[in-house]
Amino acid sequence: MRAALIRYSPLLILALAWQLISHFELVSSSALPPLTDIGGAWLDLLKSGELMKNAAPSLYRGAAGLALAIGFGTVLGIAMAWWKPVNVVFGPLVEAFYPMPKSALIPVTVIWLGFGNGSKILLIFLGCMLPVIIGAYNGARSTEQVLVWSARSMGAGRLRMMWDVVVPSALPELLNGIRTALALAFILMVTSELIVAREGLGNLIGFLGANGSYAAMYAVVLTVAFMGFAADRVYQIAAQRVLAWREATLS
Amino acid sequence: MSAAAERTGPDLVTRLVWGTASFVAHTASIVALLVAWEIFARSGKVTMFMLPPFSAVAERIWSDAVEGKLWTDLGLTLYRTFVGFFLACIIGVGLGTAMARTKIARWFFDPIVSIGFPMPKVVFLPVVILWLGVFDVSKITMVTVEAVFPVITATVLGIQGVGHELIWSARNMGAKDRELLWQVLLPAALPQIMTGVQVALPVALIVAIFTEMAMGGFGIGGVMMQASRFADSRGVFAGIVEIAIVGYCLVQLLAMIRRRLLRWHQEAHAPSTI
Amino acid sequence: MTSNAQIVVEQVGHRYRPPTGREVVALDDVSLSVQSREFLALLGPSGCGKSTLLYMIGGFLPTVTGRILVDGKPVAGPGPDRGVVFQHFALFPWKTVKANVLYGLERTQLARDEREKRAQSFIDMVGLTGFEDSYPSQLSGGMKQRAAIARTLAFDPDILLMDEPFGALDAQTRSLMQAELLNIWRRTPKTVIFVTHDVQEAVFLAERVAVMSARPGRIKALIDTRFDKTDPHVFKSKAFVDKVDEIWGLVRDEAIKAQAGRGQ
Repeated sequence: MRAALIRYSPLLILALAWQLISHFELVSSSALPPLTDIGGAWLDLLKSGELMKNAAPSLYRGAAGLALAIGFGTVLGIAMAWWKPVNVVFGPLVEAFYPMPKSALIPVTVIWLGFGNGSKILLIFLGCMLPVIIGAYNGARSTEQVLVWSARSMGAGRLRMMWDVVVPSALPELLNGIRTALALAFILMVTSELIVAREGLGNLIGFLGANGSYAAMYAVVLTVAFMGFAADRVYQIAAQRVLAWREATLS
Repeated sequence: MSAAAERTGPDLVTRLVWGTASFVAHTASIVALLVAWEIFARSGKVTMFMLPPFSAVAERIWSDAVEGKLWTDLGLTLYRTFVGFFLACIIGVGLGTAMARTKIARWFFDPIVSIGFPMPKVVFLPVVILWLGVFDVSKITMVTVEAVFPVITATVLGIQGVGHELIWSARNMGAKDRELLWQVLLPAALPQIMTGVQVALPVALIVAIFTEMAMGGFGIGGVMMQASRFADSRGVFAGIVEIAIVGYCLVQLLAMIRRRLLRWHQEAHAPSTI
Repeated sequence: MTSNAQIVVEQVGHRYRPPTGREVVALDDVSLSVQSREFLALLGPSGCGKSTLLYMIGGFLPTVTGRILVDGKPVAGPGPDRGVVFQHFALFPWKTVKANVLYGLERTQLARDEREKRAQSFIDMVGLTGFEDSYPSQLSGGMKQRAAIARTLAFDPDILLMDEPFGALDAQTRSLMQAELLNIWRRTPKTVIFVTHDVQEAVFLAERVAVMSARPGRIKALIDTRFDKTDPHVFKSKAFVDKVDEIWGLVRDEAIKAQAGRGQ
């Protein structure tokens, strides 16, 4: 506990500095509203329901896109590692799209599905699928031959073996790929909503900014930033648990 | 042992054969992809609006190039990308070095870096616009802020990873602290730092394009967004192809620079893997 | 006679605290004196602190208790008067062999072309002619160590501190390098402190062998090992074999103690 306090104390110092600078109007108070104002605005947004009303569609889009990406990506990645023809077909596609900035797909999704939820979910799905596929692929390929053979010799059918042996072995790489996808989901959610959306947190930020409600804008910005950070931390803890379970079952 | 036997590494012929083989394999799959795209687009299963054929997109890129539009937009995007990228490299290496060498710097910046990394930093764009206005400065600032993180982490890892024998050896020969930093630590950390730099450039490109899309104006991102609002699907796809090509070229450029700078490194002499 | 000795180690101790666990006493009341131009071997089991002592003389580690004097003055830090040769060569991988050797000469007062000539002469002396422009990654282990020795000799330190320099080499290269080192030492006599755990190597190379005890390290015995080492069959001579046996007897108990300590 004490260690955590020392570790994060620079942030407390920065927060204090922020409050003092804005309080004494060293910078224009519209550009840098005091933290206390921001806190107040945040509570207002919460009470009026604005925060929830926009958080819901954002999180829904992100979660839906991510879930689809994880589902399809894992299956595809493992299939690519396991069956040559699948790799031949999808390999070049993955390679071609890997270095592509996923945000560049925003205009395409708009063309296909308009300004609503669909385009966002599609964007997040396509963008996040890539790191998941790569993680699943690398993970599946690293499955030790010995484990496969011993499972086969015990009469396991292909599908059963996949579940018992390949998936657990692939877990570390796969979980890492999902972690990347999680961060990417937040990024794509925010970027798509900042540019084209009718509702959602990104849209709310833009609206508040245009409206001059800077304290409220900061409040939402910091909320989203914190959500991204928190999601990553929570995910890491969950991933550790899963890996620990894997250690127990594999040994 | 003869001098020839002492040297390690594959000979020129082997390298050429593997190089050509992998080049052919890569281009073949891209070509196959483009052919598949063309066929699927013309098959009637989706409208030409949803998926314009590659030939139409290529034609659009060509006409933009001839008109000169392509080059101004591309130039603008690359300008923002590179300015932000270079700033990120300088700040990143500087900050990373300070964090690796001094306790105070490490204590102060560590939480900022570790919290900042998984955060969708692009969400701060409206704040940056609030502070710095609606012009290039904001775009470049955003690029720098995003691209600086991988450089910082790589530099810290690189410098902390320098073996103490190298440091002691330099001190033995009389090197003072400043000399130690420039003559030993940074060259020794270069492979790691270069890796961070190689991650930072594509990030810089992505963020530059995103800021253009969000803020409008010229540059490939802005033009693509415009096209999408005017339902100009060929324009949108043209942008995607252009970005893909630029991204690929930048990655190759950095890989080439890495090979040059790190000629001395073990990896230069290891047999290449596919 | 300690007053004429070049290196004086007086009741030196060293301890440190690893990140986890209790404090370790690496050295306890070590006293030693080394004459100018003497070749001394520091011999002992793993973990006895011989490298620690070497690095304290080199000025890389602080003395916790006691003091170390070199040429009458206490050791304040590393310096070019005490050249070090490390087990893993410590060559700068981004510099060629020549550039590595030149690095040590940069701080001397020599003119540019004199430095180049001097570097080349040492590269020739260790038998690496033709490899001046090679990078360390292109060299074998033996060649790398020869380059490291050339680099250290080039800036002409009075004292040579060598930390198991042949430990990372295969047996054949090792015996070749031992013979070469003796040749070099005869040609350019310096004070040498040579750390090793190999008894034969110590007896062959050194004029005196300091046997160290297991941790906490102390000097257990000092044995004179002067022979006619130009005899190519010296390894089989009765005098040599007896000396090795005598020293091995002293070391063996310490080695067993060191093993036992490890097992706890």
